[in-house]
Order: sequence, then structure tokens, then C-alpha cells
Amino acid sequence: MSTHTPTVAGTPTSRRPLNIIDQARSSGWARELALLPAIILAMVIGAVLSPQFLTANNLLNNVLVTSAVLGIVVIAESIILISGYFDLSLESVVGLAPMLAVWLVLPAAVGGSGWGWSPWGAFAAMFVLSIVIGLINGFLVGKLKLNAFMVTLAMLTLLRGLTMGLSGGKTLSGLPAEFLALGNTKWLGISIQIWLFVIFLVAAAIFMRSHPVGRKLYAMGGNNAAAAAAGIKTLRLTIGVFVAGAVIAAFAGLMLTGRIASVTANQGDGLIFTVFAAAVIGGISLNGGKGSMIGALSGVLLLGIIQNILVLSQVPSFWIQAIYGLIILSALIFNYLAGSRRTRRVV
Amino acid sequence: MSGPAGPGERLNLRKGDIVVTANTQNAIEIRGLKKSFGSTQALTDANLIVRSGESRALLGRNGAGKSTLIAMLTGLVTPDSGSIHIQGANGEITEGPGSDAIACVYQKSTLVPELTVAENISLGAYPRKRWGSVDWAAIRRTAVDQLKDWGYERIADKTVADLEPLEKKIVEVCRALSRGPRILLLDEPTAGLDEGASHELFAQIDSLRQRGVTVIYVSHHLEEIFKVCDSVTILRDGRDVLTAQTADLTVNRIVNVMAGVSEEEAAAAKKGIAAEHRRQEQLGETRLTVSGARIGLRVLGANLTVRAGECVGLTGLDGAGHVQLAQAIAGQVAIENGTIEHNGHTLGQGNVIKTINAGVGFVPEDRHVNGYVPELSVEENATLTIVDRLRGRGGLINSGRRRACFTELSGAWAIKCDGPTQAVEELSGGNQQKVVLARALASNPDTLVLVHPTAGVDVTAKESIYESLRELRDSGRSLLIVSTDDTDLEICDRVIVMYKGEIHAELNAGYEEWELVGAIQGAEAAA
Repeated sequence: MSTHTPTVAGTPTSRRPLNIIDQARSSGWARELALLPAIILAMVIGAVLSPQFLTANNLLNNVLVTSAVLGIVVIAESIILISGYFDLSLESVVGLAPMLAVWLVLPAAVGGSGWGWSPWGAFAAMFVLSIVIGLINGFLVGKLKLNAFMVTLAMLTLLRGLTMGLSGGKTLSGLPAEFLALGNTKWLGISIQIWLFVIFLVAAAIFMRSHPVGRKLYAMGGNNAAAAAAGIKTLRLTIGVFVAGAVIAAFAGLMLTGRIASVTANQGDGLIFTVFAAAVIGGISLNGGKGSMIGALSGVLLLGIIQNILVLSQVPSFWIQAIYGLIILSALIFNYLAGSRRTRRVV
Repeated sequence: MSGPAGPGERLNLRKGDIVVTANTQNAIEIRGLKKSFGSTQALTDANLIVRSGESRALLGRNGAGKSTLIAMLTGLVTPDSGSIHIQGANGEITEGPGSDAIACVYQKSTLVPELTVAENISLGAYPRKRWGSVDWAAIRRTAVDQLKDWGYERIADKTVADLEPLEKKIVEVCRALSRGPRILLLDEPTAGLDEGASHELFAQIDSLRQRGVTVIYVSHHLEEIFKVCDSVTILRDGRDVLTAQTADLTVNRIVNVMAGVSEEEAAAAKKGIAAEHRRQEQLGETRLTVSGARIGLRVLGANLTVRAGECVGLTGLDGAGHVQLAQAIAGQVAIENGTIEHNGHTLGQGNVIKTINAGVGFVPEDRHVNGYVPELSVEENATLTIVDRLRGRGGLINSGRRRACFTELSGAWAIKCDGPTQAVEELSGGNQQKVVLARALASNPDTLVLVHPTAGVDVTAKESIYESLRELRDSGRSLLIVSTDDTDLEICDRVIVMYKGEIHAELNAGYEEWELVGAIQGAEAAA
């Protein structure tokens, strides 16, 4: 088809050249790196408050390792948010999945099933369970069009209850080596947890940015009807993201269990709030269609650093929760002021 | 303070001046407005003087500054400089915009469908009884009083969702006027109304003017302006370039002024693209065949064929079934009975991907609803239908291929944007529509189904779109254009008219306007 210019000449509206801030904003980089100054500021505060903060030991073992599990769940939740949905039940999957695996393996005397499954069999069962959970969530939200918030909230409660019931409220420990390997192993002196987080992050970032399915998720989250009209199979993708989310959360739960060498009946309880906080601060829109994995990473890092500072600064533990909440509120306000407004034309 | 000003007299006003005119002749006095948004200069020197009781059309291409000017009239946006004086409900002229001084009826409905007409008319200002609870009787009385002027008091208790489009429009106007403003702003008021309803609306607007209401009329439908308005103001590049009586203007002159083109240039261009009547021999074989298609109660057995290189129009009243039929052909909905064949493929199951792969592209009715993803870039939106075909190494998208595809599409459609990575929501309405058109074309379809392809698009962008559609048709593609816009149908080789779910008439190019209007209304064709 030939290129043609409109038959009637049009005069462009006069424009001033874009200054550097407008250029950065329009290219999207500003949004992704918006937290960088905040992270640097937090690190400076940390270094000032405590001499231990800037040590390799602290940064690697305390900040990054403890952030790894949260980070992986945030990746899962971010993909679901970008696709236009919510999943609150991920925190319960973090608890139930490893609980099931451990329960299948351990003898009855210490609270297990007594069926003596092999660890690998237990891992497989755990993943099958998470796939089923994802399928149910995806079906209810995608096919029956039930409210994602309510469905996954109900699922959160159900799964938490199952975890309680399965374990009798007990903490199970004395885990076989296969479970502990996820916590102990070090590659090149760095904990495997950090490696796994980095691998997940890079894979997710490339997937969301450059893979057709990733781009379709952005389209679906940004305007479901437009995506469907363009021929994107929205139902399939919806079920897919819920399944992927649950599977990733199950793996994160396994990592957590490996690190603390046990599985508690309320493992993961309350995690979802921090997950959402990290995602939102990192620029993931709750309306869908917007946000990046890099942004999610910066949200996780910022919260991890802040939590570390609170612990190191010897704030009485009773007050940590209040201060944490206050900081998150401030971060949200700052996020609004710094990022999301553009100079818009009046349409 | 200076003495009374006569109409048209130039005043040197400064911000803060209160102007009191002896006989309040001007309802609106806007002078020298300037406004820029970041790097874009939306208004450079806008002036608007409207006499009380006058009916003024406000015209301009997308990007001329019309929406910004309106936003300033209603107080949504403050100007960088210049003055605004508006006659308030009490007849006094005050400085600055008054959101209470101007009643606005926009294209998009602002009614709450679940509530009744009476509740909607008093929305946000429910009268209260002595102890604070809502006074339902007063609400009903207000509604009936307003509706009586129109002769529509019978709909006061109906739920808005149950109303006809014309009735909804009347409720909107009543709601806007119920607070007492003397100035009414109408933005594309005939959107969604068929011929008969539009005529009734014009009659009602006329009676409003008799009662002394000043009307500002914004529309892309130039024929309407001549029916309703005394005078016209045309904006271009952020300034008012012409204000004149409608009686002294022609459609051609208006279009030329809006585009900034002289009469000679326009005449030469028109000759070049004079509507040709395509002869039958130039068309190819039959490409699309629909027989006995049934969709619920909307389409009751429709047959039509489209040949290669043919441009077929499909039209009818609201609810005649033409939109549903087009959607079925494009794979958006499934047909319950009958067959749809395209290039040898059997379609009609409502499978969009299958339809796209069979060579049918689709441009949906409302771009805001299912046309584009607002925050994604122009590039991604335009290639959304062929995401899977852009794969490169490792199954990931090859951004070079995507960019090349977009460059070709944006050149073909003349999409104006800051760059391929600009978010589509930032573009003007006309360019957004072009992105949606490009998206449909990205899969290189043999047949393109378009529903209302120029809705909310200004005159020059419309011409640009028609030019591209003609090129598509000449290159051998088939076009099925579903529209109630007469100019859309003018580029078609023939127009199929549906009435109450069935194919009612087929008119070849060169039909008279009254033939089309009659067929749409279901009249029998003249022998």
C-alpha cells in the first residue's frame, strides 16, 4: 500500500522542545527508576543509624535473603495485577503448599501423615495442588466473572484453614535434606535464595517485556475488551496467570520452609499486605496494564532495606509495625506525587 | 469602569474588571485567551463573543483548541492569560468562568441508568425536608415542571435505562438546565439519535432559543449547524479565525477555513478525488457470502455478498441489526443459523483469531470500549492483532520487526504522534481512530469490516481516512462499512439497508439522499 500524505495540508500545533524531564517521563524510564533516589536515601539513613548496615554480611544475608521469598511472591502478584486481576490467596499458598509436602513426608509421630512419601513425590504433589488452586481461582474469576478480590479472599481463608487442619496447628520440623537444600546451599558464596530470586526476576522481566504472551497480558489488563476484539484469548490467559501465580507462590513457600528449616501452621500469614505494598510502591497499577518487573524489584528492595533498618536501629519490636505502616503510607503519597501525573491534553 | 459597551466594540479589559452592560447583550465575552499544556500551545489567542439568545456553532479540527476553550468556559481549566465574562443565571455578568452559568450536555451520557428520570434531573442537589431526609415529592415536581416544556412529562418516573435515546438526551438537557443557567452547551447532541429523533431535538432546541437561552453548539456534522445555528465561530491553531452568520457561509467554505486551505487548492484537490462510480467489470470474484444469518432477535435471516475490490455500505436505524451482522462477520459474535463464507473458510463461530487468520479485519464501533489499550504505545496497539507473527529469536518479540510493521502502517494512515512509543491515550480522537484502523489492517486482511469508522473524527482526518479506504479498495481489498453517517456511505459502491433485522433494500452508488432516508425508515422503494 502506498504511503500518502493527506490531501489537505495541515499545520502542526506549535510546540516548545521537550526538556529533559519530559523526555525521561515520556520514555517510561522515569517511572521505573522513580524509587532509586528513595532507595539510596534509605541506604544512607541505614548507614548513618548503624555501622553494621553497609556490611556485605548484612546486605546479603539479612536484606537480600529475607527479601528473596517476598520478592518472588511479588513477581507472581505483579503479573496478576498487570493482567488486570487480584490474587489475595497467594499468601496462603505460601503456607499450604510446603505444609502439604512436609506432611506427606514426615512420620505421624512428629505430626506428619505417616505415609512416608519421598520428597520429590511430595514436591510434585505440592505443585499439582497449586495448579488446582490456580485453576479454581482462574475459572471463578475468568469464566464466571466473579469478583477477584472476594474469590481470592475466600480462597485465602479456605487454604489457611486447610493448613491449620493438616498440621493440627503445630510447627513441623526435622525436614529431610532435600527441603533444607533450598535454604542452605550457596553458589559462589551467595545463598541460593538470592540466585533463585534473580533468576525468577530476569526471566519474568524478559517475559513481560518481550514475549508475545507477556505483551498480551499488558493489553488484557489495560483494556480487556480491546484485547478480546484484537483476537487475544483472554479466558485462557486469565486462567494461566492465576495458575502461574499459585505455582510460583508454592515455590516461594518451599524456599521459605527451606530457609527456616520448618513449616509453621500460619506460614505466610499477613504476607499479602507487604506484597501489595511493594508492588504498588514499585509502580504496578492496581487497575492493570501498567508496571514493570524492575519497578516491582525496587519496591521489594526499598521495603527490605527499611525493615532491616528498623531491626538494626533497635526500635522496640512493639513499635515496628506502626512505623512500617507509616513508612508505607508515606511511600505511597510520594509515589503519587513523583510519578503518575502527566501533562495531558484536554480531549 | 467604562460606559455601556455596544456589540462588537473592542474593550480594553484587564483581569478583575467587572463589566456591566446596560442591556446585558452579550451572554459570553471571551477575549485573548492563551493556554499551554507543557510544550503544547492549545490556545494562542481565542476570542468568543456571543449575544444573549444567540445560537452559535463552535467548529474546529481536533487539536484546534475547541475542547480547551470549552473547558475554560466551564471552569475546568484556567487560562494562562485573557479574560472570560459570562452571564450568570441571575443575568449579571461576572468575571471568570461559572460552572453554574453554563449547562453542558456532552456526548457521553452522564445519567445514572439505575435511577429514575426525576432523580437524575435533580442529581446532586436533592431538595431536603425539614429534618434532612430527601423530599421525593419536590424532586418529582421539579422533573415534571422541566419536562412539561418539552411535552415529555410522562417519562418522569421511568428508569433511565428503559428510555429511548432521544428521551435520554432530553433528560440530560433538563438536568443541565434545572439549576437555572441561561447558556446551554451541546456537544454532538445527535450522537446516537436517528433522523427522526434529531429533527425533534432541533425543534426543541429552537423553542429553547425562543425562551431566550443562549446555545453553543459543537458538532462535526456540518449539515446540522445550518439547521440550528445563527452563527459560526471557527477555531484553528488555537485562535478564532472566522466568526460569521450561517446564512453567509457554505459547507465548503467552512471546511476550507477549518483546514486553512484556499478555495482554489480545495477545488483542485476535490477534482482529483472526485467520487468515481466503479464499474462492475473492475470488481473481482465474490469473496464474502452470508446466507440466512440469524442472531437472536436482532438479525432474522440476512443474505449478502461482497466481491473483491468492492466497497459495500451497511446501514439502518438503531437496532436494525446491521451492527450485529457486521460483528458476526468479523467473528466477534456467533451466528445461530445460516452460514458465513470468506475466501473458502467457514466463519461465524465467533472465533476472532480464526476470522483474522481467514483474512477478515475488524474496526470496532467504539474505540474507547474495545478499540485501543490506553496506556500501551501506539506501536503496540497498532500491532496488537499480529503479536504472534512478530516473533523472533527464542519466541520473543522482535522489536525491529514490530517497528518496521508500525512504520508502514503509520505511513499508510498518516498517524500523527510524538513517536511509536507514545501512549495512545495522549493522541487526538482522529489519530486514535487511525491507530484502531491500523490495527485492523496489520494482519493484512482481504476484507475489512468497519463500524462507524469516522465517529468523533474531525473533517480533515475524515478525508484522510476516506483516502486510505479508497486506496485499500483500489488495491483489491473488500470493505464493509457499517455506518449511519452519510459521508461514510458516499464512498461505497452500493449500500445495503437493514430494517427490523432483515435486508430491506440495496442502493447502488448515485442514489438520492431521500431514497436512502426512506429505505432506512423502512419505506417501500419507488417502483
